[in-house]
Amino acid sequence: MAEKVRFIIERQDGPNDKPYTQEFDVDYRPGLNVVASLMEIQKNPVTVDGKKVPPVVWECNCLEKVCGACMMVINGKAQQACCALVDNLKQPIKLQPARTFPVIRDLLIDRTRMFEALKRIQGWVELDGSWENREAPIQNPYTATTAYEISRCMTCGCCLEACPNVGPQSDFIGPAPTVQAYLFNLHPLGKFDAPKRLNVLMEKGGITSCGNSQNCVEVCPKSIKLTTYLAQLNRDVNIQALKNIFNN
Amino acid sequence: MFHTTFYLRRLHSLCGLLVLGMVLFEHIFTNSMAILGPQGLNTALEMMELIPKPIFMGLELGGIAIPLLFHGIYGIYIALQANTNSGNYAYVRNFNFSLQRWTAWFLVVFLIWHVGYLRFYVKGITGTPISFELLQNFFTNPIVVFLYILGMFAAIFHFCNGITTFCMTWGITKGPRSQNVISIISMLLCAAMCLITIVFMGSYFMY
Repeated sequence: MAEKVRFIIERQDGPNDKPYTQEFDVDYRPGLNVVASLMEIQKNPVTVDGKKVPPVVWECNCLEKVCGACMMVINGKAQQACCALVDNLKQPIKLQPARTFPVIRDLLIDRTRMFEALKRIQGWVELDGSWENREAPIQNPYTATTAYEISRCMTCGCCLEACPNVGPQSDFIGPAPTVQAYLFNLHPLGKFDAPKRLNVLMEKGGITSCGNSQNCVEVCPKSIKLTTYLAQLNRDVNIQALKNIFNN
Repeated sequence: MFHTTFYLRRLHSLCGLLVLGMVLFEHIFTNSMAILGPQGLNTALEMMELIPKPIFMGLELGGIAIPLLFHGIYGIYIALQANTNSGNYAYVRNFNFSLQRWTAWFLVVFLIWHVGYLRFYVKGITGTPISFELLQNFFTNPIVVFLYILGMFAAIFHFCNGITTFCMTWGITKGPRSQNVISIISMLLCAAMCLITIVFMGSYFMY
């Protein structure tokens, strides 16, 4: 008989239902990760007590840490399930939905708030046409390196889940959307709207809600230097505030 | 487009570091005179009495009472927006984040007791001047001594960790290296200030 891996999964039938836990055993195999384990449970949704239950609902897509969909709380820490190897996890493995977000069902969450926040900070570049290559505005290659790093953010929500200042008790939009404002402020055309974005960050729920716990940079699966860019944005909003006071 | 939240937050930060930091330093400085014995502390306290009453009252109100009330009340509002999670995310900075809030809650209670008893009741209502002997008598209760040392440690940590976060909030330290350097320096300052506290608290049992 193969070695078993025990999973304790926090389930919830609907957005307003009470959460409960169920335990499942999955056959161990080398390189097994949490998403693959959830797929095994989906094939044969029988708990350790031998009860047949509705399969566990979760979300995944790319399976290579690019899409962000499979973020969940594994053994108490927010991370991507696709790259959470069973070998690196303490057993039994506890899976919970990221409750900073509304839970739709089981491990499936609703990330709408992050996209709403991106709308708020104007996470896009206003274009008034397109350019031929030679006429296009020049991007400093060093700035581009930073921009590339931040652009890899996949809106997974790890940083929001780990941030003690994000949750129903606060209106903080969270590290990821805040730092996206910096990405668009770096863009050769996006920078024209930088004062607009900085003013949004100065509003309630913006960058002032950051409490410097620095969990975001610890948990970011894309290793984005969130705290560095948050500090840069703090500098930028302070300068913007001086402009607001003295330029009017 | 007047960002009330932004200015309140920045004022809270400035108020804590500069104004209340000064108050903390003044307390440690004056109280450390107890190391020299009753004469030392009483002389220092009498020197403060030389400041004309209206100016002294103005300093107490503008330099302590108002900033402290603002920092405390707005701080409670800030602390209520945090859901501390240093159990699951056991990183040094996150632990400091939790400790910043726990010390804050303790200080709210401690300062109501400290200011209410020594400033309002003893000095204000009974009109007894604060002296080495009065404090020595106050500190005969070991629970009072324990709570006062804890109160000082909480205030010192809250201030020193505040230096680190102040530098982040104002965008002074941007990268992890500079943030770590400031963090180490402020924790050394924290240790030094705690040590001085233990020494001057101990002097009440020496004389």
